[in-house]
Amino acid sequence: MHFAIATRDELWLRGRLIEQRLSHGEAFHDGETIVATDARNDALVAQCDAAMDELRRCVIPELRMRLVAEARLDGMTSTITASVGGHSIVTTPEHFERDVQLVWSAATAVAAFPHREPALPSLPLLWQNGTAAVLLHEAAGHAEEHGQTPILPPWLIVDNPLTLRRATFRDVPLPRMTNLVARQRGAPFELPNPRVEVLLVDSGHYEPLTEVVTLRIAAADLVEGDASRRLPPFDFVRHRGAIAFLGATGDPLRYPGVICSREGQELVVGSHAPVMVTA
Amino acid sequence: MIYRKRGHTIRWEHGTRIEVTESGVAYEEGERFICEPAHASGMECGDRSHRFDSLRSGSVPRESGGSAAEKAVTAVTALQTAVVERWIAVEGIAEHEYGERTWSEHTQRLHVALTHKRERALIDQASFDTTHIQRIAAALARCEPEREAPPRLRLAENVTAALLPTLLELAPPNVRVIQTAGGIDGKGEDIVEAAKEWPNWYRPSYRIRPVKAPLNLRLECEVTELDPSRPIAIALLAPVTGLTLRVLVEDGARAYPATVRVTRIDAVSNERTWYPYGAGSFGAEMML
Repeated sequence: MHFAIATRDELWLRGRLIEQRLSHGEAFHDGETIVATDARNDALVAQCDAAMDELRRCVIPELRMRLVAEARLDGMTSTITASVGGHSIVTTPEHFERDVQLVWSAATAVAAFPHREPALPSLPLLWQNGTAAVLLHEAAGHAEEHGQTPILPPWLIVDNPLTLRRATFRDVPLPRMTNLVARQRGAPFELPNPRVEVLLVDSGHYEPLTEVVTLRIAAADLVEGDASRRLPPFDFVRHRGAIAFLGATGDPLRYPGVICSREGQELVVGSHAPVMVTA
Repeated sequence: MIYRKRGHTIRWEHGTRIEVTESGVAYEEGERFICEPAHASGMECGDRSHRFDSLRSGSVPRESGGSAAEKAVTAVTALQTAVVERWIAVEGIAEHEYGERTWSEHTQRLHVALTHKRERALIDQASFDTTHIQRIAAALARCEPEREAPPRLRLAENVTAALLPTLLELAPPNVRVIQTAGGIDGKGEDIVEAAKEWPNWYRPSYRIRPVKAPLNLRLECEVTELDPSRPIAIALLAPVTGLTLRVLVEDGARAYPATVRVTRIDAVSNERTWYPYGAGSFGAEMML
C-alpha cells in the first residue's frame, strides 16, 4: 500500500508571517511493516502551493491564524485555525467569514467577565450552532473507536464512519472518525426555560476507562424567559451514560471542524448535528 | 545560520514496525522561522554539500539496538497481569549540523500505558529495560481502592522525573533544581550547568522553532539518605498537575492509588537516571 502526502503550513500573527513549513513524504505499507521517507511528490507540492495562495487571502491581522494546505493521493484539504482571546475555531476558506464571526463574538463577549462565576446550576443545555456534534464526537464517536456501544435515544441517528487515517507519512494508520453527522428523526422538542445555550466549544476529551466526557465550553448564554446573559467558559463533565438526550429539532448544522488528537495524530473531523437539548 | 538534521528511526507501535528516514533544514529570517525537507530547498547542494554528505552513514544499528527494542516489545506485550493499552518503542539516530558544528545522537524511548479496571499507569523512559514496568504491572493487578497518601512516602525516580519541570518554579527552599552540564543544545552550543536565566536552546525537531529552556534538570538536596522502609510511589496514574500527583503506591505487599500533594521534600538520592520529560529530566528517588 502506497501513501504520499505534502503539507504546507503557515502561522500568521498580527497579519505577519511568523512560521512557514513544508513537509512531504511517502510510506509503503507491507503487512506489519511501514517504510517511510521524506520523498517529494512534485504534483502534491504544487497543489499545496496553489491552495496556500487561496488560504492567504483569508488572513486578517486581528486573529492568530494557522493555515494548512495538505495534498494526498486521494484528495486535498485546506484548513484555517483562527484564534482570538484564547478561543479558536477550525474552518475553511469557504466558511471562514461566518465561522470567524462565531469565535469573535464569543471572545469579545467573554472578555466582559474577568472573574470566573460559581458553578452553574444543573440546567438543561441547548446545543446551538451544531455544537452537539462535539458532544457526540466524544460520547459516541470515541466510545465507538474503543469498541464501546454508543448510548443514544432511538430518535438520534449518528452517522460516523471510521476509516484508516494517518496524520503524516511517519504515522501508523488508525481507524479514525472522518465526518460525524447526527440526525434526528421524530425527536421530541420543547424549549426548556431556564436553560444554558451552548454556542462554541473549545475542546473535548473522552476517557475510555471511566467513560467520562469532558468538554470545555467557550461560549454559552444563560437564558431565563426573555433575558439572556453570557456565561464565562466552563467545563461540562459527565459520564456518557448519564447524559440525558431530551430532544432535538431541525436538520444537522455544520459545526466548524474539530481537530481530533489521538495517539499524537491530529486530524480534522467534520461535525454536524441538529439543535439538541440535554440534561 | 542554517540548522540541518538527518535522522533514521525504527518505531514499534501496536504491532506495526515503522522505519522512517528523513532530513531537514531550518533557519530564521528576521522574525520568521522556516523549515523544510533538506532536498526540497537544495540545501544539500552547494558549498555545504560535502559536509552534509559526510553525515550520510548514520542508521539505527539493527543488530544491537533493534534487537534490544524488540526484546522490550516482546516483554511488554507478554505481560499477563495488566492490560497493555498502549506501547511505543522508538530507536533513532540523528546527525545535526549548525554553523561549523556537527554532532550526533542515539536515542531510545519506551512509552507504555498499562490499565487495570479504571486505573492507568503511564510509563515513559529512555531505555528498553522493562524490569520496572513488570513491577508496575504486578502492583497494578493487586491494586486496592484509593487511599489517602501515607504521610511519609518515597517517590521512585520515574515519578520524580515527571515532577521536575513543575518544581522549577515551585521547589521548596531546601532543594535546588539545576540544569546539568553535558551534551549539545539546539544551536550547537555546549549545555552548561545553570540554575536560572537558561542559556541553552531546546530544539526537539527541525520542524520546531528552538526556544531557550532548562535542559536535563536534576534536583539537589543536602539530605541524600532515604528510608527504604517507607511506602513508595512507583508509577504515575495521571499526568502531573502542578505539585499534585496521582500515583500507584506500593506498601509491602499492598498496592493502591493515592493523590499526593508535594509540599515538603525531606531527601533526594544522588543516584539519577535520565527520562524524556520536558527538555530532559534526571529522576532520583525522593522522600516526602
